[in-house]
Amino acid sequence: MTKPSYRTKIIFFLLLFAYCCSACAHENRLIMEDSSVSKSKADMANPFVYPVEFYRKYISTVAGNRCQMYPSCSQYCINAFKKHGSVMGYIMSCDRLLRCGRDEVRLSPPVWINGKRRCYDPVSNNDFWWE
Amino acid sequence: MKNLSRTTGFFLIAFTTVFALLSPFSQSSAAPVLTIDSDKQFDFAKRCFSSEEYFRAIDEYKRFIYFFPEDKRVGNAMYEIGMSYFKAGHFKNAINSFEAIIDKYEDTDLSIKAYFMISKCHIHLNESGPAVICLNNLITITKDIDVKDEAYYEIGWIYLEKALWEKARINFAKISTQNKNKYQLKRLSKELDRTKLIDRKNPKIAGLLSIMPGAGFLYCERYRDALIAFLLNAGLMYAAYESFDDDNYALGGVITLVEVGFYAGNFYGAITSAHKYNRSKTDQFIDKLKQNTRINLTGSNNQKSIILSFQYSF
Repeated sequence: MTKPSYRTKIIFFLLLFAYCCSACAHENRLIMEDSSVSKSKADMANPFVYPVEFYRKYISTVAGNRCQMYPSCSQYCINAFKKHGSVMGYIMSCDRLLRCGRDEVRLSPPVWINGKRRCYDPVSNNDFWWE
Repeated sequence: MKNLSRTTGFFLIAFTTVFALLSPFSQSSAAPVLTIDSDKQFDFAKRCFSSEEYFRAIDEYKRFIYFFPEDKRVGNAMYEIGMSYFKAGHFKNAINSFEAIIDKYEDTDLSIKAYFMISKCHIHLNESGPAVICLNNLITITKDIDVKDEAYYEIGWIYLEKALWEKARINFAKISTQNKNKYQLKRLSKELDRTKLIDRKNPKIAGLLSIMPGAGFLYCERYRDALIAFLLNAGLMYAAYESFDDDNYALGGVITLVEVGFYAGNFYGAITSAHKYNRSKTDQFIDKLKQNTRINLTGSNNQKSIILSFQYSF
């Protein structure tokens, strides 16, 4: 078996670092809002939610909310993980990313959020047939 | 004796003079007395209701019931309280109000109207089961065929809105022969025969086609989603292949993990799209059916007659 290259090691450590950062950031935030939002143990234990929280807290706030859907893809992702667990949450999130801003905008009803037109596509609009 | 009568006379004159002088002041200083009778109170409550001040109307109707408990309009006031809650969107409070009417005015027109309103409240709360149960209870207790037919008609429509065509058909069939024309049942039955013609997409086919990324979306007439699903999946598959080929197992593993999600999402999205397509077409059909054949039956408060409205759009 060949040794992993230098580039592969860097990518691996970058991913690990990003994951740890998101986990720590989430922990800090939980301490601050422990009385306002009571999250279940299952929610906090879901490892997929941390990178999304990291994205929402550090990337999306700088890059701006450009998602044409409501709730936004990251919020939808968190909702899907909370409602259906890791496996179905992951699949539903990927499905949403595939559909974001395309045919769904034409087919789903519009809502106005802060004066901007958004396409209303909550989790309940995508799990009604099997839930 | 003479002195006594003189003194009495003096006091009498003095008292009369003081009374005569003070009486205009006492009249002017007293506030005018406002008397509200039952008619005024009821009319004011009615006005609040018609000007869409529903919570004020509730208070005024309650005041009417409190001060005039013997008035013959107390039942109507209770009904209007229920209607005010209904119009304000407080359906649970409305149900409680209408139930109070049923308890107090059993087997009256008011209680019949209360049953229909409770059913409507349940529909607004998205509880079709209790709505049907309520109407079935009404059918059981009433002997009036017209009321029974109206209840069957409403149950039929509850099932129609849930796209349960057969159950709707069964309830429409229970309407008596004398009222079949009133409810336009021939036309309704004809329209219901067209349910088989509703354009549908098979979710199983959509899922099966998704083996080829994007084909399921294409089947559901989502062309842009189909293109993106195909390009993204193809790109990630190629990237994973290249990574493994270059012995970049960690990178290949990460890309594969992402690709598995998008490939599964492609299946999930296609199946959901087929269901959404079917739901949308069914809703369109029901809306059209409502426009063409739905009859609104509205009971008035004081009269036994009903208002019948029918609409047909071309």
